[in-house]
Amino acid sequence: MTRFSEALVRANTELDPSIREHLERYQGPFADILKENERIAREKRLPLCQDTGLVECFCTLGQSVALEEPLQRTLEAAVANTYGAFPFRDSTVAEPLFRRTPLKDNVPPVVHLFQTEGKMLEIRFLVKGGGSENLSRYYALEPSAGVEEVENKVIELVGDNGAMSCPPLHIGIGIGGFSEKAMLNAKLALTYPLGTRHKHPDYAQLEERLLRKLNTLTIGFQGLGVGPTALSVHTVYEPTHIATLPLAIAVDCYLNRKGVVRFED
Amino acid sequence: MRIETLKAGETVLYSGPLCIMRDAAQKRLIQEMERTGKISVDLEGRIVFYAGPAKAPPGYPIGAIGPTTSSRMDKMLEFLYRRGVLATIGKGKRTPLATELCVRYRRAYFVAPSGAAAALTSKIVKASCLAYPDLATEAVYAVEVTNLPLITAIDVTGTDIFSL
Repeated sequence: MTRFSEALVRANTELDPSIREHLERYQGPFADILKENERIAREKRLPLCQDTGLVECFCTLGQSVALEEPLQRTLEAAVANTYGAFPFRDSTVAEPLFRRTPLKDNVPPVVHLFQTEGKMLEIRFLVKGGGSENLSRYYALEPSAGVEEVENKVIELVGDNGAMSCPPLHIGIGIGGFSEKAMLNAKLALTYPLGTRHKHPDYAQLEERLLRKLNTLTIGFQGLGVGPTALSVHTVYEPTHIATLPLAIAVDCYLNRKGVVRFED
Repeated sequence: MRIETLKAGETVLYSGPLCIMRDAAQKRLIQEMERTGKISVDLEGRIVFYAGPAKAPPGYPIGAIGPTTSSRMDKMLEFLYRRGVLATIGKGKRTPLATELCVRYRRAYFVAPSGAAAALTSKIVKASCLAYPDLATEAVYAVEVTNLPLITAIDVTGTDIFSL
């Protein structure tokens, strides 16, 4: 799991080059310190943001791989070792409602497991902060709803609340499935690289149109009105029930700390 | 800091003391007040920075630090003002309640750069835990900062940069 740990450190300390380009072009309020931050974090291996997130893992496991222990345990140990060894933040509490007692080493990660053919393991992960997570939304749209309604929900959500979640934002959209699958797909969409489009032309156009519309909101870097409002929009769709049109929206901050690690035989 | 004269949008390089606390510590202070009629932290004259630091790397007084979302704590803002807090620092737009309270108590709200924690760490020269060490990153800390860049987001007249 060394490669996964290294990728976790990288995600926390090095800004994705395609996002760095946007940061370098930015000239508005706090521009200097944001650029200085990117440099200091990279050079001194300090976290880009003090909220070093909850680690969310989307694992695809080949059917002929035999693991020595449950993947959840392996990933939890890797997260604990990495967050224990680096000056990151332990941001988890043991129980959410009554006591909220802090946990050490930022465990547990959220782990989702999918199966595929062959002998491989792919771990896509997000280092997801709480501020952006609080913008996750699920809408049970009516099956007759059109694409405009989907777009309006996204625009409304970002327009009303985008300034709180460290814009420019990355938007993941899950459409179809049932509620939990839509949200899972919305999160998965946040792991996709900047500038890539859905292979289905209708969804690709939806992504492009939404990105254009979001950027007319002029929320900008830090919510202070200068620069882009959104840097990426990705969609993932699934078949659904005749009576439903599930829509889930997940939001990530400008850093979009993520990674992909692949093990192949 | 000349809080009364600052206008929304004005930038400030702040040097001086700050009191770091966020959701859990404020909730506990309020519960303490309800239970015992007093609180274990003197808030008079303090500027509250809504933040939770990361673990300190060797040679630093505190770890990576930056503002958290302020609006989550709007319901607890009046409690702070009534105990003499002069201003709050955080990130993002607040609810109309916060603006109303800034006017009523003649207090200001500042935003600090978010997602800039590695750079902000160097602005903190001294740090100590004031209360609730069991809350770990959510404990109350007293810190001394130098040249912390801020923007006045809500001034004492209730002008809010996020609503301009």
